[in-house]
Amino acid sequence: MKKNLLTKVVTVLSAATLGAVALTGCGSSNATAIADGQTAKAASPDSSVVYRTVDEIKDSGTINIGVFSDKSPFGYVDENGNYAGYDVYFAERIGQDLGVKINYVSTEAANRIEYLQTGKVDIILANFTVTEERAQEVDFALPYMNVALGVVSPSDAVLSSLDDVKAEDEIIVISGTTAETYLEKNYPDIKLQKYDAYAEAKTAFENGNAIAWANDNTEVIAFAIENEGFTVGIPSLGDADTIAPAVTKGNESLLTWLNEEIEAIGAENFFHADYEATLLDTYGADYENTLVVEGGKVQ
Amino acid sequence: MDIEVIRSYIPLYNEALLLTFKIGMLGILTAFIIGLSGAAALYFKVPVIGKILTAYIELFRNTPLLVQLFFIYFALPKLGIRISAQTCGIMGLGLIGGAYMIETMRSGLESIDIIQSESALSLGMSKGQVFWNIILPQAISISIPGIMANVIFLLKETSVFSTISLMDLMFTAKDLIGMYAKTIECLFLLVVYYLIMLLPVSILGSVVERRVRYAGFGD
Amino acid sequence: MQGLGIDVLFKGTNMLRLLKGLWVSVEISLISVVISIVLGLIVGVLMTSKNGALRLLFRSYLEVVRIMPQMVLLFIVYFGTTRVFGINISAELSAIIVFVFWGTAEMGDLVRGSIKSIPRIQYDSAYALGMNKFQVHFYIVFPQTIRRLLPLSINLVTRMIKTTSLVMMIGIVEVLKVAQQIIEANRKASPNAAFGVFAVVFLLYFIVCWPISRFAVKLEKRWV
Repeated sequence: MKKNLLTKVVTVLSAATLGAVALTGCGSSNATAIADGQTAKAASPDSSVVYRTVDEIKDSGTINIGVFSDKSPFGYVDENGNYAGYDVYFAERIGQDLGVKINYVSTEAANRIEYLQTGKVDIILANFTVTEERAQEVDFALPYMNVALGVVSPSDAVLSSLDDVKAEDEIIVISGTTAETYLEKNYPDIKLQKYDAYAEAKTAFENGNAIAWANDNTEVIAFAIENEGFTVGIPSLGDADTIAPAVTKGNESLLTWLNEEIEAIGAENFFHADYEATLLDTYGADYENTLVVEGGKVQ
Repeated sequence: MDIEVIRSYIPLYNEALLLTFKIGMLGILTAFIIGLSGAAALYFKVPVIGKILTAYIELFRNTPLLVQLFFIYFALPKLGIRISAQTCGIMGLGLIGGAYMIETMRSGLESIDIIQSESALSLGMSKGQVFWNIILPQAISISIPGIMANVIFLLKETSVFSTISLMDLMFTAKDLIGMYAKTIECLFLLVVYYLIMLLPVSILGSVVERRVRYAGFGD
Repeated sequence: MQGLGIDVLFKGTNMLRLLKGLWVSVEISLISVVISIVLGLIVGVLMTSKNGALRLLFRSYLEVVRIMPQMVLLFIVYFGTTRVFGINISAELSAIIVFVFWGTAEMGDLVRGSIKSIPRIQYDSAYALGMNKFQVHFYIVFPQTIRRLLPLSINLVTRMIKTTSLVMMIGIVEVLKVAQQIIEANRKASPNAAFGVFAVVFLLYFIVCWPISRFAVKLEKRWV
């Protein structure tokens, strides 16, 4: 932030003027605001390429990868300030094989699509479950993990079926996750308590703000193992899904590269090694074969 | 922009507007009560309470609402104090707003010339009568521009409620973007709804301010 | 200390990271304030212009800043601009743009207010003494304006620092986000970390903002 301060200042000045003009238009009346929106449609996101190809990434020497920074053991920051976890282990390998440095971008669940569509990251490696709706907005590479939904609740009041949820009960979900969409769609009567970030949701759940927490089952199982007094009452809910890296829609070169990479490192059982390095402490060996997807092939 | 999408989101935004407005208003009411009683306590120089109030004002004016909410909502339960999200929102808004309101109203009270209370006292009014009938009405009308500015500030501050799971306007927009990625529509509605909520307050503010200014006398 | 969860801050580089996070907030505010003051001076002078259209333009600019939450502006700039214009703006730059957009309006209004507060008679007297327009502004108006402005703009610094707590929402890893990461990484070992860490963050903000606002009050008492 220091050496190119001057350039930054100049950009800020010009951008501020631009922003001022655009926003005053918005503020003075609703009519202009609508007109504003229409110009937005004219310059729709597809017309401008926001993503970077593999060559462009290599030339720049840095790849931007969006990961969670508060979702242990998949993507978090350890006490020395380094990113770590199952997703990050894979990200490190990608950086190594591309021969570039990695710039980790800390993301929240609800921002993941947005980050890709605006080109703010090249790859999302943030425990991103493949769904049809999402596949319309971004391109998924081959999967590297299995996942379903799960629900964890306090051991003294285990929730074993969603039909037992009473009208006044609330369930915690994280905004922008598959659990949220699933419950909104299939259990519209259940009151949801939504949070932005994993850290917030978990602390609130620990504090007893809701009767249960619905999320990826990997996550809730890890939570129940790591925190005493919690039990996964519903270990599997909804469809069996997979987790895969995602790139900006249309970024063929990076997508192809990623798919080849996943297949290639599958030959050396890379994701099993990843599991053993990052997840073994939490899950033990029992989950290794159910969780890991090797070489992009779901068993 | 997709008009159909906008239309389908409107009920959600309406709900969020109601919640934002409800919590905002209850928070502002709390802030007003804290402000009025705090300012009176400072005006009458109540010994110990004055010190406590000063500490409270400095603490809450010099920290962000977001951090205060995090503390109340996520940290206090670790000590066994559990507060629901809505109460926490109202409390947070009331506490930070109270700190600002005390300052605003205190300077209003202090701006009333001492000669007025001296004259009123010499006319045989009691201390309480002087405060309620002479000082307070003038002080409030002098403080109104400041109070209105605080009201707008507090309503704007509600946008951080998303972090404590309250489905306010900001969170509704973020949540919809996260689920369906219709960014432009969501942001557009967000701006429109904040205008609906705050433009009338802002206009009311300038109208009242003008009135109060003309109602003043003396210089 | 174990029970309150303050101990996690002494593990690894946790405390240092928290302070670094705080510095991110302070840095963003300082850069924004400096730019806002410069732009605010220009805008403030323009606001006193007699041109009706110009005044209307600035009036609506002020109004937008007054009623739009900074968080909404952050989202519009960070996500909206890429969508609409196809320009990719980093989170830090977005934050600076929003803070400058907001700060310039506030500063401009303050400048306008203090220019207007200088009584007409001072101009008249100065002209009567044979000063030219430049001299009147440079020797009479500006020195007084700046005295009035200084405490107010220092106040703006603390308000900016406080508002930087919002930039967490657009993915900037500042003090609050670091706090969450620390809580998350130590959830098992230190279940009460949420209390200790958030209490420390609360205090850190206070330690940074309080002296600055005391300083502003002091200046105000001496000069105004």
